[in-house]
Amino acid sequence: MVNFNKTIYIVLIVVVLLLALPLYFFIDPSVSAFFPKCPFLSFTGLYCPGCGSQRAVHNFLQGNIITGIRHNYLILLLVLVLAYQAILFLFNKFGSKTYDNLLHKSKMTKAILAMVIIFWVLRNIPIAPFTELAP
Amino acid sequence: MEQKPQRPNSYLALAIISTILCCLPTGIVSIIYATQVNSAYEDGNYTKAVSASKNAKTWGIVSIVLAALGWLVYILIFGLAFLGAAANGEF
Repeated sequence: MVNFNKTIYIVLIVVVLLLALPLYFFIDPSVSAFFPKCPFLSFTGLYCPGCGSQRAVHNFLQGNIITGIRHNYLILLLVLVLAYQAILFLFNKFGSKTYDNLLHKSKMTKAILAMVIIFWVLRNIPIAPFTELAP
Repeated sequence: MEQKPQRPNSYLALAIISTILCCLPTGIVSIIYATQVNSAYEDGNYTKAVSASKNAKTWGIVSIVLAALGWLVYILIFGLAFLGAAANGEF
């Protein structure tokens, strides 16, 4: 039963990705109204931590990594966390000694929470150095 | 020394993904619970760590599902209408 459910989820995720990725490859969210705007931005007029992700995905698919990251720097954080988890998993599975996971330290998760919130606040400041963080 | 129970999953990656993928601040709630999992576990409060872990998972999944549904409905209603208009040369 558990395996059955898992298979359904995986199939669902793959189907959605297969449908969505070509859309994000061909349609530029910054010039087209095809994709939804952030509801938080629409209601409050403020950027949220996720604003710019659609443009970032479009740029990544087109091979413009730097332009993509500049739309939302949090993607960098996500890549770092996922890469760290993956590398640590491989080290602990195949290596001769096991390493502690830094992400299991409460200081680390608190720092990440603080980073996300500070990023959220700073990207809404419309003055020169902070406008770089805006989507 | 008392045997420590296994550390509950903090679902930190899921929380970050939900924060980035959707504009609903529920992702932030998920990160807050992820933080609580680790601090409660370090304090030895294992029941609280387990419940925070469940909350982190629920909020992460809720925000991803909400975002995915909202995205799908938007694309089906506005996106397809937009494509139709573009195909007819009305845009």
